[in-house]
Formats: sequence, C-alpha cells, structure tokens
Amino acid sequence: MVTGAVQLSELDQARLDGKLGKAMQFAMQTIVSAAHIDQADALIDISFAHIDACFYNGRAHLDFVNYMLEHGATLAVPSWTNNGLVSLNDLSVRDPLASREMNEARQLMQAYVKLGCNPVWTCAPYQLPGRPEFGAHIVGSESNAVSFYNSVIGARTNMYGDYLDVCAAITGRVPFSKLHRDEARAAQILFDVANIPSPIRDNDLFYHLLGYVIGRSCGNQVPAIIGLPSSCDEDDLKALSAAGSSAGSVPLFHAIGITPEAATLEIAFQDRQPQQVIELGIDDLQQARNELGKNSDQALAGIALGTPHFSYTEFERLVELLDGRSIHPGLVFYLTTSRHVFEQSQQHGWVESLRQAGVKIITDTCTYFSPVVNGLQGKIMTNSAKWAYYAPGMLPVDVLIGSLSECVESAVSGEVVLDQWVTS
Amino acid sequence: MGYFVKQKSASIQARVLISGCAEGAALVLDDTLSFWGGFNPANGEVIDVHHPQHGQRVGGRILFIPQSKGSAGTPGGIAETLRNGSGPAAFVLGERDVNISVGTLVANHLYQLNVPVVEISIEQMRQIKTGAAMTINRDGTILINR
Repeated sequence: MVTGAVQLSELDQARLDGKLGKAMQFAMQTIVSAAHIDQADALIDISFAHIDACFYNGRAHLDFVNYMLEHGATLAVPSWTNNGLVSLNDLSVRDPLASREMNEARQLMQAYVKLGCNPVWTCAPYQLPGRPEFGAHIVGSESNAVSFYNSVIGARTNMYGDYLDVCAAITGRVPFSKLHRDEARAAQILFDVANIPSPIRDNDLFYHLLGYVIGRSCGNQVPAIIGLPSSCDEDDLKALSAAGSSAGSVPLFHAIGITPEAATLEIAFQDRQPQQVIELGIDDLQQARNELGKNSDQALAGIALGTPHFSYTEFERLVELLDGRSIHPGLVFYLTTSRHVFEQSQQHGWVESLRQAGVKIITDTCTYFSPVVNGLQGKIMTNSAKWAYYAPGMLPVDVLIGSLSECVESAVSGEVVLDQWVTS
Repeated sequence: MGYFVKQKSASIQARVLISGCAEGAALVLDDTLSFWGGFNPANGEVIDVHHPQHGQRVGGRILFIPQSKGSAGTPGGIAETLRNGSGPAAFVLGERDVNISVGTLVANHLYQLNVPVVEISIEQMRQIKTGAAMTINRDGTILINR
C-alpha cells in the first residue's frame, strides 16, 4: 500500500502492523490511504461518528461489514446510524420479503447493530440528545448532517463516504485535513438577504429556497449569509443545510449573528474580504421555487413531509396547523421521522392525533428512496427542497414545494392551496 | 514515400493513489459522476441522464474521470461494480478523489482484486482518446499504444 508521509503515533503503527487484529489493520490501512490521497501529514482523534454505510447499496456493503465482524472489529467512538434503505419497524416500506436486495438491506442494518452502533436510524441525528459539541472533531457522512454539524453546532467534519466512516469509527482516527483545520472554515462568499421583506423571511419555505439558491451558486466556496431574521431556529437551519447540500455541495455555511463561528462578518471571514457579495431578492426565491417543481394540471395525490427527519418542534407545529381537522380522503399523507422523535411525540399524544387525522408516520428511512408499498405517485406536495430535488429521479411523481402551512391546507382541502407571495 | 516514423507508444507518469495494474481500452468521461444515483453498479452503466457519456458501460475499460461527485454513496457503488465484474479495469483521475479510492481499496481487499487508482492532470486527460489501448503499471506508469 501507499502510505506517503503521514505521521503515525506508536498506537497507529501497531494498528497498521496488525497487532490489534485484522479488522483494525484493514481499517487503519484505509485511513492512512485516505490521508495520503488528501495529502494530510497527520491524523487526529475523533469523538463521534454518524455511519452511512448501513444504507444498502449492493452486496459489497454486506461483505464489508461481515469482514469487519468476522475479524473482531469493535468501535472506538460512539457511532450512530443514518437512515436505512428499509424500515425495521414497518414492513409496508419496501417489504423486506419482496426480494433478495430487501433482505440484504435488512441484514446490513442488523450487522451494524451487532458491530456496536447506536441504532438511531436517522438523517437528523443532531435532533437527538448527546449530540457532539462545538469544536469536536467528528465523522459526518450524510450530506445534510455534515452541513448541520459544521455550520450550526460548530463541530468539525469533512464529508466522509461509505467505508471510510466505519474505518474512522473503528480506529477513532481521521486525516487532519480540510474542514478539520481552522483556515478551511473561513467564509469566502457573502449572500445578503436583508432586502427580502420580513413576512417572507419568516416563512419556513424561505430557508428551503435560500438553501437551494446558495447550493446552486456558491461552487466550492464557503458561503456566509447576512440578514436572516432572529426567528431563525434549528428547523430553519436544518432546511438550509439539506437544501444547500442537495442543490450543490455546502458542507459548511455561516449565518452572521446566528451560527457559532460567525458572531460578526469579520470573524466569519477570518478578517478577509468576501470574494463576492450577492444580494438576493424575491425573484431569486420565486425562480428556485419554479425549478423545484410546478403546480401542474394533475390532481393532488399526496403530501410528503420529514426530509430530513421531522423534529419535535415540527410535530408540534403540524398538530397546531391541522387543528383537529382530517386529511382529505382522496390523498395520502406521509411523514418520516426518527424513532426518538416519534417516541417523544407519542408521549404528547401527537402521534395518535395525527394518525387519526390520516397521517402515516414512518421511521428509520425516507420516502423518496424507500418507496412505500402502494405509496407515492402522481402529484405530490412537499415542504422539503431536498425531497423535491431528489424524488422525481426515483419515484413516478410530479413535485410541488410549499410551506408547512400550505401543505397542511392543501392536505385538508384535497387541492393545492398556496399563499399569496409565492403565486404572484 | 513518407518519412514519418510511427511512434509506437507514449507514456504518462501518474501519481499512485491505490496501487495495482491493468490493461484495456480507455473510456474518457467528460464530466464528474456520482456512483450513487448516477451509475448502475449492477451492470456498470452511466445512468445520469445529464451526463455526456449517459448509456455507456465502464466494464473492463481504463476509466478516465475528472472526479466523482455528490453523496457518501460513491464508494459503495464502486465496490459493488468491482465485486460483480461490471466495473472498470482501472481508474485514472483528473483530481485526487478519496471516495473512488476507498471504494477500490475495499473491493481489492475483499475480493483479491488488483485495480489501480492513479491521478494525472486534467490537461493530460484531455489528450486521451476513448478507445486507445493502454497498460498501467504498479508504479503508476501509463503506457499508451499507438
């Protein structure tokens, strides 16, 4: 193997020499190779990993984790699982008995539990207690979670792909490169949203559209946003993280006065000038909305919420907005969330009241890559830019994006109901 | 009567990311590609409808690619296509790429393969024609037959 000039500790060398078993040796070889490719000269300790390799993508995934298990692998750090391809709770999502692939997808998820992962099965692990703290070096894999960890929490991670995430969790080590280093975290390009009227900036859809615009236009630069309202909360920042990472590659952004490495412009830009300043207006949002889907002539067939996974506060808002009303009988209404948030919401009686209203709640997975048996087709409305971006490539759907309140009003009336600002 | 001496071969010294050796015909991808979503690992076909090489199969080829893009799923797509035999004989990258390299490293280890991943410059890549026969040595030398 090619090792390059990476500095290794004595313990690293012992791992690499196979003194701690074959699984550790292979994991260490992979980490050292990654360091060589990234031209990193050192490795650092991590304190947490979010594992994506539990998401089935062919037999090789299963062979990899089985190799690690058979050769005695254990995990060096707390490691939480991303979504799986199927739901372990709900057989109506891609019936696991339906094919060899579905069976293997299920086996894969079980193998990661056996390896010692915390089976949270969520793409929004940052909504759960015990999340990493500011400044912690961690391993993120799923793109929205990488963006949220870096930007909103101020933990430090690159975008780790499958296998490297697991090898990092086994060794507890990653190359000291890119977003783990101070200099790579400086903002480079500034987006100014101060001229957008405040009723629009206070609408939850704004953050999905803004994330899409930024993802489309920032290239490989670290973006900063100025002019976000004080109402901006973690649900809004989740939407920004997910939309930016779908439309482009935004593993880190800064929101001036809001996110932890951006108290001021000077701090976010590490005392340098923005390479570019882009002022955004309503037209940019309207264009983003049009690119993410159109209100076609077809009849509305359903609603999909919860990409990334629905939070506790989103459950609360949904129950408020529905206000005891039921979903129109002609529609399907799917909501995806984590087991943890599901249980929290259950304790409040929200799960029961939503079910009675006609909402189908799914855990462990996502509705765009995990088609629900007899599920989503035709014209589907979503509140998520990420769902709107990916679903048309994977499902026979015609997508329309709307705010949470527009989704609810449409679901109740059975036809698309839009607010004024976005239709004009 | 011409005075041309037909040059038999040219060589490029690449940077080795994952060592191995290979022989085959070049397939040059003109754009980046995600191996999750943009590629079918069951048969090695480029399925991204926006990609210039949409519909091409990579099996057995020396695959020239500027870089992968997108999601955490690329290494899995690479390992799976190499496992089932529909994958390329080698990867030649225009820029270092951890995802393609790790996918190949894992497949080489699990399935006793010898697939190399090497890096050249984008300028060097522009001079490669799809179909050119070539070999890649363990030290990263690419020998192009003419």
